[in-house]
Amino acid sequence: MSAVSEYVHNIKDTVSTIFEGMAVTASHFMRKPYTVQYPDRMPVRVQDTLPFRYRGILDVDLEICTGCLACERACPIDCIVIVAEKDQQTRQLLLSQFDIDIAKCMYCGLCSEVCPTGSIHHTTEFEGADYSLESLIRRFVQDPVMAYKAKKGPETDPRIAPILNRGMAYLDQWAQPGGEKPPGEEPA
Amino acid sequence: MHTLIQNLIAWGVFGKNPPRDLVAAIVVFVMSLIVFLVVALPFGGIVTWVERRVWARIQSRVGPNRVGPQGFLQWLADGIKIICKEDIIPDEADSRLFKLAPYLVMLAFILPWAVMPFSSSLILADLNVGILYMTAVTALTVVGVLMAGWASNNKWSLIGGVRSAAQIVSYEIPAGLSIFPVVLMTGTLSMQGIIRGQGWAPQHWFLFANPFTFVAANILYMSSLAEANRTPFDLPEAESELVAGFATEYSGWRYACFSMAEWGNLFIVGAIITTLFLGGWQFPHVTNNVVAMNVLEVITFTVKVLFLVFVSMWIRATLPRVRIDQLTTACWKYFVPISFVNMIGTAVWVAIWPDGNVAIGYIMFAGAIVFGAVFIQRVIYYLRRSRMEVYLNPTI
Amino acid sequence: MSTLRTEEMTLNMGPQHPSTHGVLRFVVRADGEVMREAIPDVGYLHRSIEKIAEKVGYRGFMPYTDRVDYVCAMFTNQGWGMACEKLAGIEVPKRGEYCRVIAAEFNRIASHLLSVGAMAMDIGAMTPFAHVIREREMINDLIEELCGARLTFNYMRIGGVAWDLPPGWREKALKYLDHFDPILEEYNALISWNKIYVERLANVGVITPAEAINYNLVGPNLRACGIKWDIRKDIPYSVYPEFEFEVPVGNGQWGKLGDSMDRYVVRIREMAESSKILRQALQKIPPGAVLAKVVRNFKPPAGECQIRVESGRGDMGWYLVSDGTGYPWRVHVRTGSFAAMGIIQKLSAGLMIADLVTLIASLDVIAPEIDR
Repeated sequence: MSAVSEYVHNIKDTVSTIFEGMAVTASHFMRKPYTVQYPDRMPVRVQDTLPFRYRGILDVDLEICTGCLACERACPIDCIVIVAEKDQQTRQLLLSQFDIDIAKCMYCGLCSEVCPTGSIHHTTEFEGADYSLESLIRRFVQDPVMAYKAKKGPETDPRIAPILNRGMAYLDQWAQPGGEKPPGEEPA
Repeated sequence: MHTLIQNLIAWGVFGKNPPRDLVAAIVVFVMSLIVFLVVALPFGGIVTWVERRVWARIQSRVGPNRVGPQGFLQWLADGIKIICKEDIIPDEADSRLFKLAPYLVMLAFILPWAVMPFSSSLILADLNVGILYMTAVTALTVVGVLMAGWASNNKWSLIGGVRSAAQIVSYEIPAGLSIFPVVLMTGTLSMQGIIRGQGWAPQHWFLFANPFTFVAANILYMSSLAEANRTPFDLPEAESELVAGFATEYSGWRYACFSMAEWGNLFIVGAIITTLFLGGWQFPHVTNNVVAMNVLEVITFTVKVLFLVFVSMWIRATLPRVRIDQLTTACWKYFVPISFVNMIGTAVWVAIWPDGNVAIGYIMFAGAIVFGAVFIQRVIYYLRRSRMEVYLNPTI
Repeated sequence: MSTLRTEEMTLNMGPQHPSTHGVLRFVVRADGEVMREAIPDVGYLHRSIEKIAEKVGYRGFMPYTDRVDYVCAMFTNQGWGMACEKLAGIEVPKRGEYCRVIAAEFNRIASHLLSVGAMAMDIGAMTPFAHVIREREMINDLIEELCGARLTFNYMRIGGVAWDLPPGWREKALKYLDHFDPILEEYNALISWNKIYVERLANVGVITPAEAINYNLVGPNLRACGIKWDIRKDIPYSVYPEFEFEVPVGNGQWGKLGDSMDRYVVRIREMAESSKILRQALQKIPPGAVLAKVVRNFKPPAGECQIRVESGRGDMGWYLVSDGTGYPWRVHVRTGSFAAMGIIQKLSAGLMIADLVTLIASLDVIAPEIDR
């Protein structure tokens, strides 16, 4: 008797569970798909929808780079190469090379964390495909430039001030906000 | 077909007093060409696009939507691409059998179209053993698949081929036994005869003729899915186990043959069920115009078949795959005994009510409507449970 | 009948095979459909991560830990962070610990989702996989907002976590959890209780409790055998003692105790428990700093320590020896997948080829975690 009841039970079980499964899949005909039709069928660029903390391709604001080499030291795979030397006449730090090998970079974010001015930071750009490895090396210094020197008070140079403000915003966002206080307004 | 030919002659399409045999030959030839080239071959392609779209919606995706309107020409793009691919024949393969196998599978796909009853007069050959012919030629697939599996000289292909043989041969039995109830009720094996035994209204379909035919219809549908290598019985090409089963070593045009036959077989599966249980092309007699009537009948038949094709896609998107021992268990322990019960039950039923029982038809049809209502209620339950707003990424 | 001669077949499953998650290789000796034996062959994904640790220093190694187990990278982050903190005696701020737990539990849900979805796909059901990927995508979106990456998080630091929860994140996370619980139920209705699915998994690859202990299984694989052993409960770390949650164990409801279905169900139920932990953590998270003050040139005193964390794949051990310099002297990771690979050879005898696939999936083996 038990064999017969098991037989019937098996059939009943199969039919009822398949019934439920079919109901779930049928309900999906009436739901919106969860696909982002990257890259062309989007109202906005994908890059603009990414969160602020997104770790994309590195960028450097040379105007506010202090030449402290903190990023070069922090990088675990040595993909940043900076050459900075003291100019004998002006007694200032002269940056003659600032290369980032994007092919090597693993987007860990350790370099932007230690930057004192937010000069080196991650952008939301992630489309880095290129035709050769050589062109993946980003050379930020064309002609040797003076390193930025932090001032005591607020920045006075009208050319540098907005860049520095932006850099410090990165630092503010990236660093720990104190307690429950919301750290400024959320950038888009 | 006869009525069509007679009508054509009567209208004077071929002039006065044409030789009847020649006209019949020309009409049959042209019709077969139309059926093969316009219906059968593109269907195998289009259905892949439909299946991908259906799957995509079930899986919260979009699916192919770039080539042509809503991606409709995707099948053409895929077809052109796959034909342009290199046709690789492995060195160690048995090249003659390897080359032959896809055509055998293709043959098994094309032959059933000869008895496909599209409408009351549109059928290439109304054989008096039509349904028997249908089951016989669809089973030819097994030869091609086994041949492909053996000739590839690849162990995965071989396992796929052997699985396919075991599966198709054993599922022929419940499929054949499930046809018997209908044959018992109509007393004919001809496709048109079976359809003429039914009415256009659902309560006159053999699906609702008695409880046994209802079960037989379901068993026939499941067994046909097994014969067509569809989920949940897609063991021969189980991609997570056997890479691509018997088609692992194939590429280019030969691979296209396999996949076209596989998807095209869905139409044949649907056509068999429609003919036997869903009233075929039966449509209420609304006009005396033969052409208009035939068009309506073709549409009726196609809609029914396409619904079954859709259901098989839906099943494929829902169910997991069974194991080989469970496959045979399901066949020999469940499908075959129940088919025998169906056969005997129908025989008894026919002995008691030789002209059928219309009341039962109405009751079963009402039961089916209740079943559908319960199903829709479950669907609405799952829709309510899901919080749609979380899905809606503002950027989509 | 005894004259019927059958030939044994040797099949190479992998390293390129659709269902060996990543690059695994099995040498399968099969008699038709039935396997005599499946011998796992490991080492295809060895990247000498332990040796790299000796070259890049304590802080620089944190991104590398993501690569040990990329499916649940938060736990490897946490293990490395905890090992360094234990050696240097650093106290992590309370809020930092909460952030860690929140990130890690989200990651556990994502990891288990992937595991159960891949399992369904190996059995031939494609839809559940797409659904779990959709859910996992939402978790990834949350984590991306939290730490800027979707897979290799690099969220934790020695002494806490790198970034606090962004504004509005808590509400979003709670909203997601409200969505997740019904989705789990829907998922169960779709696939978990499906008769075909249950039949495929029940009574396959049965591991007895004694075998599980002898073969050193950990995590859900161990718990499915009915052994209640969870590092979060039994050797509590971080702030887990502050949360109420249960440790789901297998009960053999569907077949024998410790079969594939038990392992599957344990994962499903663990996701629900993780959701419970997350709700509590998101409610109770205290204010304060998230990162302790740690000297930039981190040099722990000479010594050794061992840390255990409960990762998605079970007990993950981090063994660290320091000689007082800025570089670790020796690092060793003990992972659950490696132990799970060991038992496959024993379990595989007499199974069908199709069952090998479900067996691998049910043990939740992640290739990079085997070889490191």
